Amino acid sequence: MSTATTNHAVVSMHGVFKTYRLGQHVIPALQGVDLTVQRGELLALTGPSGSGKSTILNLCGLIDTPDSGDIALGGQSVGGLNENARTLLRRDALGFVFQSFNLVPVMTVAENVDYPLFLAGVPAAERRERVAAQLAAVGLQDHAQHRPDALSGGQRQRVAIARALIKRPRLVIADEPTASLDSYTADQVLDLMRERGHAEGAAFVIATHDSRLTRRCDRVVALLDGRIQSS
Amino acid sequence: MNNMPPRLPALRGSVPPEGVRSALGRPGGETYAWLKFAIQNTLRNRRRSLVTVSIAALGTAAILLAGGFALYTYQALAQAAARSNGHLILGKPDQFARDEDMPLQHGMDDVGTLRAQLLADPAVRQVLPKVEFSGLISNGDKSTVMMATGVDPDGEFAVKGPFLTMTEGKVLVSGSPDAEVMLGAGLARSLKATPGSSLTLLASTTDGAMNAMDVRVKGIFSTGVPDIDKRLVYTDIVTAQKLLVTQRVSSLGIFLDRMESTEPVQQRLAAQFPQLKVQTWMDQAFFYQSVRDLYNRIFGALGLIIGVIVVFVVTNAMAMAIIERTREIGTLRAMGTLPSQLMRTLALEGMVLGGVGALAGVALSLGISVMLYVVPVNMPPPPGRSVGYPLNIAIDPLMYITTLAAMVLLTMLASSWVARKTVHMPVVEALAHT
Repeated sequence: MSTATTNHAVVSMHGVFKTYRLGQHVIPALQGVDLTVQRGELLALTGPSGSGKSTILNLCGLIDTPDSGDIALGGQSVGGLNENARTLLRRDALGFVFQSFNLVPVMTVAENVDYPLFLAGVPAAERRERVAAQLAAVGLQDHAQHRPDALSGGQRQRVAIARALIKRPRLVIADEPTASLDSYTADQVLDLMRERGHAEGAAFVIATHDSRLTRRCDRVVALLDGRIQSS
Repeated sequence: MNNMPPRLPALRGSVPPEGVRSALGRPGGETYAWLKFAIQNTLRNRRRSLVTVSIAALGTAAILLAGGFALYTYQALAQAAARSNGHLILGKPDQFARDEDMPLQHGMDDVGTLRAQLLADPAVRQVLPKVEFSGLISNGDKSTVMMATGVDPDGEFAVKGPFLTMTEGKVLVSGSPDAEVMLGAGLARSLKATPGSSLTLLASTTDGAMNAMDVRVKGIFSTGVPDIDKRLVYTDIVTAQKLLVTQRVSSLGIFLDRMESTEPVQQRLAAQFPQLKVQTWMDQAFFYQSVRDLYNRIFGALGLIIGVIVVFVVTNAMAMAIIERTREIGTLRAMGTLPSQLMRTLALEGMVLGGVGALAGVALSLGISVMLYVVPVNMPPPPGRSVGYPLNIAIDPLMYITTLAAMVLLTMLASSWVARKTVHMPVVEALAHT
């Protein structure tokens, strides 16, 4: 943590190994990965299926643990945290955008976006203001009371982005955020992520196969067989 | 770390202090939000929820109706027992403990003073002496065994109310110059007696000699139990004492203002008259106790089975709902929802299903119970009896509250139990669930 680079790091991985067991087989997912994501950075992870993109997302998102190596969030190691502490850290510092949106279907758009603030114990009045502002920022203020199933794919992903950014996280984990969208909508969603990410000061780690998306990211990390090939 | 915004939690120890603080002790309104979420979730699959609620409602109604029927039966039998002999029965200890070698061997003398003392108690409404004896009753051609009771007619038949049905003639009255009797319907049929018939009572006196007395039939009654109707004879106490050549009585039946006074008055009288024994109606109500023991077992088992069925149905519905939502649960966990918070909302979801079902069951049970009072339905005579009885269902607030609370609690616990595995599943696994 002594360099200027790491002082600005939102998340950093050092010598991270991860394997999965599939029956009798041991599959190496990550083999000594070192990666640092800077504040406000839009980082794309690319590579073929099984190259380790999703594993890096899971580890950065604190929903999985490495076999060895260290992961630090905001300069502090998360290795010693128990499950509840990791959950609370996700709640307070991380946002997620999924390929299939993963909105809660029984909640309205506003309730979906409000949920992270509710979890964080933000007072109701403040929540109402922030949700309204966030929905306006993603252009969905007129859909606040709609259910997700009344929205198009692009609109749903905008709701998911609004939900991920509403609590002003340091890091947003995005797994193939444009894979379910047509190219025009995908461009719009990417623009939105860049714009809102910069506005909120959040870094994005995005796993993607979409070359149009990678071209517009600040940095692209190519993975192969659990190792970083280029950065 | 100087450049880090203050919002990022400090990672000291194993749990971020701020995170822990905000996760615990949230202000009011949070429970409402989780409850709202739970209600929204129950409406996802409306048909499944409707079936679950319906079964919970039917189960609750079945428990309440069966329980109400048993309770009404207990109350009716208790009333009958208390009106038959009195809420309390006062006599010499041997009267209750030992057999008599001679009639009224353990009887009480000079009960006039004792009656006056008993009537001074504010909870005592009536004190009725009773002479119980056995002997023969004859129409001149045929003699048969009788179980006779000498009573104070005016008081006795006033308190018996609906528990003695006159089939012919009239009831006895106090102070009648003639020696009169009332016969059970079976006994009257056996002796071919009708109101106005002359019969002869034959019994052993308190000295052991045989005595006979001619009596006239005043009325014929039915207790509803054929075996009793074949033997039972009522006469007034003066006639009984003349026949037995004594001034004694077997016991005093004490009738109270209400059933609940039984125990306190028993304690008062036991302290006031230590030389006498005070039994309660329940000590002599062997039929009541047998029925209660039987019904408690039958309806207890029935209630248990119904409760288990309801819990299984709610558990099954919740299990399906949770499996279908595994990925969503993974999403909520990824976003920072604690397993305990998810357990709570899923338990609330089960509570909503069970609670709404139980409330509907309460309404159904209340409706049926009230309807049975408005539109009476008669049950066929039970074994050993000759008359049916009205089907009534008691409405007991404590039973309703207990059943409702048990249903809500059981469905909450069942939902928590089926949810525990999924909410503790690794988030990556839950998100990959298809």
